[in-house]
Amino acid sequence: MNEYEVIIIGGGATGAGVLRDCCLRGLKAILVERFDIATGATGRNHGLLHSGARYAVTDQESACECIKENKILRRIASHCVEGTDGFFISLPGDDLSFQTKFVESCLKAGIDAEVYDPKEALAIEPSMNPSVIGAVRVPDGSIDPFRLTASNIQDAKSHHGTVLTYHEVIGLIRENDTITGVEVLDKKTGEKFKLYAPIIVNAGGIWGSHIAEYADLKVSMFPAKGALLIYGHRVNKIVLNRCRKPSDADILVPGDTICLIGTTSTKVPYDQIDNMHVLPEEVEILRKGAGELSPILDKTRILRCYAGVRPLVASDNDPTGRSVSRGIVLFDHESRDGLKGFITITGGKLMTYRLMAEKATDLICEKLNVKKKCETSSLKLPGSREDKETILKKIYSMPISIKESLIYRHGDIAEKMSNEDGVNNSLVCECEEVSAGEVLYAIDHMDVNNLIDLRRRTRIGMGTCQGELCACRASGMLGKYKKKCSYRAKEDLSLFLNERWKGIYPIAWGDSLRESQYSAWVYQSVCGLGDNNKTKDDEI
Amino acid sequence: MMKFDVVIIGGGLSGLTCGIRLAQEGKKCVIISSGQSALHFSSGSFDLLNSLPDGTRVTNPLESLSDLSLLNPTHPYVKMGKERFAALAEESKQLLEGVGIHTKGSYKKNHYRITPLAMVKSTWLTMMDFLSTDDPKTFNCKSFALFNFVGYLDFYPDYLSEKFERMGVKTQKFSIDLSSVERMRRNPSELRSTNIARLFDEEEARKNLIRILEEKAADYEVVLLPACLGLENANVISELSKAIGKPVYVVATFPPSVAGIRAQYLLKQKFMRLGGMYMLGDTVNRVDMKENSINKIFTVNHGDIPIVGDDYILCSGSFFSQGLVALPDKVIDPIFGLDIDYSPNRQDWYTANVYDKQRYLTFGVETNNDFLAIKDKKIVRNLHACGAILGGFDALKEGCGSGVSLLTALYVAEEILRK
Amino acid sequence: MDLINKSDNNFEQCIKCTVCTVYCPVLAVNPDFPGPKHGGPDQERLRLKMPSFYDEANKFCMNCKRCEVACPSNVRIGDIIQKARLKYSRHKPTVRDFFLSHTDLVGTISTPVAPIINSSLKLDSTKYLLEHVMQIDHRRLFPTYTHEKFVSWMKKQEEEQRRFKKQVCYFHGCYVNYNYPSLGKDLVKVMNLLGYGVQLLKKEKCCGVALISNGYFAQAKIQGRINLNSIRKAAQNNISTIATSSTCVLTMRDEYPHLLELDNKDIKEHIELATRFIYRLIEDDHFDLSELKFNQKKWKVAYHTPCHLEKLGWEYYSIELLKRIPNIELTILRPNCCGIAGTYGFKKENYDYSQKIGAPLFKEIEEGNFDYVVTDCETCKWQIEMSTSKKCLHPITLFAMALE
Repeated sequence: MNEYEVIIIGGGATGAGVLRDCCLRGLKAILVERFDIATGATGRNHGLLHSGARYAVTDQESACECIKENKILRRIASHCVEGTDGFFISLPGDDLSFQTKFVESCLKAGIDAEVYDPKEALAIEPSMNPSVIGAVRVPDGSIDPFRLTASNIQDAKSHHGTVLTYHEVIGLIRENDTITGVEVLDKKTGEKFKLYAPIIVNAGGIWGSHIAEYADLKVSMFPAKGALLIYGHRVNKIVLNRCRKPSDADILVPGDTICLIGTTSTKVPYDQIDNMHVLPEEVEILRKGAGELSPILDKTRILRCYAGVRPLVASDNDPTGRSVSRGIVLFDHESRDGLKGFITITGGKLMTYRLMAEKATDLICEKLNVKKKCETSSLKLPGSREDKETILKKIYSMPISIKESLIYRHGDIAEKMSNEDGVNNSLVCECEEVSAGEVLYAIDHMDVNNLIDLRRRTRIGMGTCQGELCACRASGMLGKYKKKCSYRAKEDLSLFLNERWKGIYPIAWGDSLRESQYSAWVYQSVCGLGDNNKTKDDEI
Repeated sequence: MMKFDVVIIGGGLSGLTCGIRLAQEGKKCVIISSGQSALHFSSGSFDLLNSLPDGTRVTNPLESLSDLSLLNPTHPYVKMGKERFAALAEESKQLLEGVGIHTKGSYKKNHYRITPLAMVKSTWLTMMDFLSTDDPKTFNCKSFALFNFVGYLDFYPDYLSEKFERMGVKTQKFSIDLSSVERMRRNPSELRSTNIARLFDEEEARKNLIRILEEKAADYEVVLLPACLGLENANVISELSKAIGKPVYVVATFPPSVAGIRAQYLLKQKFMRLGGMYMLGDTVNRVDMKENSINKIFTVNHGDIPIVGDDYILCSGSFFSQGLVALPDKVIDPIFGLDIDYSPNRQDWYTANVYDKQRYLTFGVETNNDFLAIKDKKIVRNLHACGAILGGFDALKEGCGSGVSLLTALYVAEEILRK
Repeated sequence: MDLINKSDNNFEQCIKCTVCTVYCPVLAVNPDFPGPKHGGPDQERLRLKMPSFYDEANKFCMNCKRCEVACPSNVRIGDIIQKARLKYSRHKPTVRDFFLSHTDLVGTISTPVAPIINSSLKLDSTKYLLEHVMQIDHRRLFPTYTHEKFVSWMKKQEEEQRRFKKQVCYFHGCYVNYNYPSLGKDLVKVMNLLGYGVQLLKKEKCCGVALISNGYFAQAKIQGRINLNSIRKAAQNNISTIATSSTCVLTMRDEYPHLLELDNKDIKEHIELATRFIYRLIEDDHFDLSELKFNQKKWKVAYHTPCHLEKLGWEYYSIELLKRIPNIELTILRPNCCGIAGTYGFKKENYDYSQKIGAPLFKEIEEGNFDYVVTDCETCKWQIEMSTSKKCLHPITLFAMALE
């Protein structure tokens, strides 16, 4: 049946969080997402588990929210989080009095902030700029947004939630002053159909503005583009921030096998938000900032770059966008615009997704007269439910690096991916240690439709070779297990490699250019992919 | 110091071809190579010219030269001229034959090879054991028995069988599961073509393989195997074919390329048998130049003992082998600082669609029409350049990489012999 | 521009071309070894993420450096793996590892009672005892110990050697000192004929290669410092130091700075292989070889390039020296590791792999019908003599024989 209690539009962290919360409270909920999960801002940010310290001086409310959520996420999403801690460092030329104000504000917001002697800080984190003159340690961390989103989705599904990826909402169904459902396009088949529910949640991030327009509503959003660089390996253990007023390129976040520097901020026209390319000027700003935080980075290989769009919302419906908010924005369109059955939840940041979801779901329950309380802050996500020792005991004997990889990425779910079979222990991706077993599990259980989806869930193609060795292997497996015809499978492979290139060419010099040439040689010359001159017959 | 007649920097297809040609005429040569070459990723074929710069397909490379000279006058083939092109193309094939690399094909007409992803691509010379065809739409047979090793992820029988069926050849897929391969599979990352090939260099493993092929391929006309056989032993495929009484061909896999490695070894062996010296794993790090002439060069390994030649040849390859180095704002030749044909604006180097023409692939060392290198706009009297380090052509889009490597190497060798 | 050391993170230069895996001798025979690519640059990124990613199977790396020689990106793969072993391995050296690697100690104890040691090492009962107690494979043959150490003999030559106007220091290494002083004597003879007097370093310790590969980095560092200081002192007096062992030379030139973090930049050019030194004399100083009286014997000789010498790139000098011997029929054997890799091949868990690795080399030697096999590395010599029917000599020894 096409009838639900809640329809959620948007498969980022927010939408996934709302789906989970709704399902845990027993609501019959469905999520519709036009691409794959975490393709919007969720998949294009720092991956920073804020302690909130960054906002302490200028935005106490945000800071308080952050530290509370930080503690919650460390508990419920432990397999997606690395509790690295962070240093806010002052370099020669920075105002040390800011540090004092900074520490005060942190403590006021409930954030542990400890001043360290610069020499001590340098001994703990040797990659930081040796000319550091001040350092404060805070409970920052890093978080993997893809796995976080996937985990929320998985929990929702195990509580009877439904997820439709590659389904685009192409219209809202309106009856007088009530939104009663959505019209959906299945992008794989071209089929159109309708879904009905008393509450529709607009969790479309920056695209929420566009969705609201389907109901002739105006939600003013001001896209702010941010670019980031990913370095080839993990240079720092601890997050490095600049202790000054927030500016460009002042956060260096370690995550998994890499570290990344971000970010920049430029306003972009709304019609450009699907066309994010990193510009040379942005690369320069980021390189400079990185080199200041950690001079080693001047000589470190840059792997790739990417850009995302922040959903900045005018919180009081000011069409000129003067009062733009980065805090959580929840619009009840019934009270705001006289339109029943439609709410928008947006703004905020990745790590307050759970709180955003809680607020949205509280509103939903209020409207549906459901008297269930939110439990998402205490119930652990799948993957975070068991500790490493327990998991290790359950996993089959396999090479240590594969074992460690599985547990690192998937926590207690690793058990389901482990296998005695030698074939399943073969590596598909050698850079990121992704085994065939992991790939097969993802294909079977994690809504994987193509290579890019697979990459999000397993890190295939995210290592230094950027798909050079693994994309083809993964494509072969995907084609086989999803029974794709070879035309589709090769098309998918071509798209995947082009998507990788998009993030490489702005930084393609040195070893990254060598890698690209090698990759182009293997895939295009040896294998014949992307041959623009092919005739109809040998197209396939 | 170490004195030679010719010092060749770069030990891949170009360097070895040049070295062999010179050593054949009695020249005392040394090749300095910082590592193993791009032949290790060979498709099993050599490309002469597959497309013109505007994308037009080329079926007869010789006939397309006049069009090429109109579209790209700086192309190495255009520099050498049509007559020389034809002569050197034929000579290249003979040189490969002489070394033990037996190929089919002709520079007068391209034929077609099968890629690991089951595309049909035109090419000039294909090594004997590889499946190829003159007609891109069919093969000259009715049925294939297509084999793969269990757990080998770098070969794609599904794509191949779909393609072959569409080309009118009934194709049946089979799996080979031998205990020796299974043992190798214990290693999560090392079931590569070369490691499988090593297993089948052993007679016992071949005997087992023959048994499997005989049994399973009984009803099929031709047996196809992945190109991971015959690393040391060049006769594995012909041995299998004789034993089962059927034609056996291989289809290219993902790198490393067993056939390419074997080719490299044969070239190197010939060069050394002719008296050439091959210094592997060494890099030139200092050059002594005066008045547009190279006096001596120094390398990492030999330190203060210089290497001196009457002539020098730079064939150190493209970015991949660091013959060219790309800094964020310029492209250089790290050894001599030669003039490079490139665009100073990095944004010109690439386009956002990786399958479109990428300008950086055309960058390279500038030379005159006889491939003498140029530094600060002046010709370096005793330094030639050849192979992938040359600028002015797009090996990928034009499908001319190995052709340029072979032909320019022979051209340069003959220039030096003429002196 | 330095293509080799673009940054401290040398592993980043890897572009995953997989060429190194083709040339790793261990990978060819032992599927439990992660391989140079995976154990090296691949896993290095993972180890930086979490030390628990370290795979103890990296101990199978022989440190032969063939991966580095093959790498088109100048990645120091062997170093990356050895450094990882140093940093992350939780394996503690055993009594066997101690016994095999502390060559100075064992040599000093054994030489006074050499005849007893030598004969007992030949007994089956000793061999099985060693295997049972210390996991040293019973099939492995030990080199014999000499009764008179090379340094003792050298002391007797001191006065005569000082008479030469030109002097050179000889780093003899453990093998020459405790087992095979005749090589040292040949070196002295040849250098004297070339006009050089030979002296010992002020203080010489084992170069430490076995200590490094068995995990005794601290001890290796102590010994390394002593050796570098001795070489430094000689260099200050304008005296170069030469060695006959290719492994000793590689260790002191490359392993000291790369693995032990001992700075040797100031004297790196003052320690070299004897054959390279002699090459200079002939090529640059124009020493006239016709001054030497060769005995014109005809020999069919095969030259084997030790892995470490291939890494140094210096086999050229040994080969050129051999070519200078009149009437020699010289064959250069195919590049193939002999498999022993120092103490590696003594260990029971490695013995079969060692022999498999060396098998193609042994075959080529037997099929070639040579009079002698020549190589610069002493452990290659033991392996070839144990695994083939041929005698294996050092180039200097052959050269000395040609001058008898």
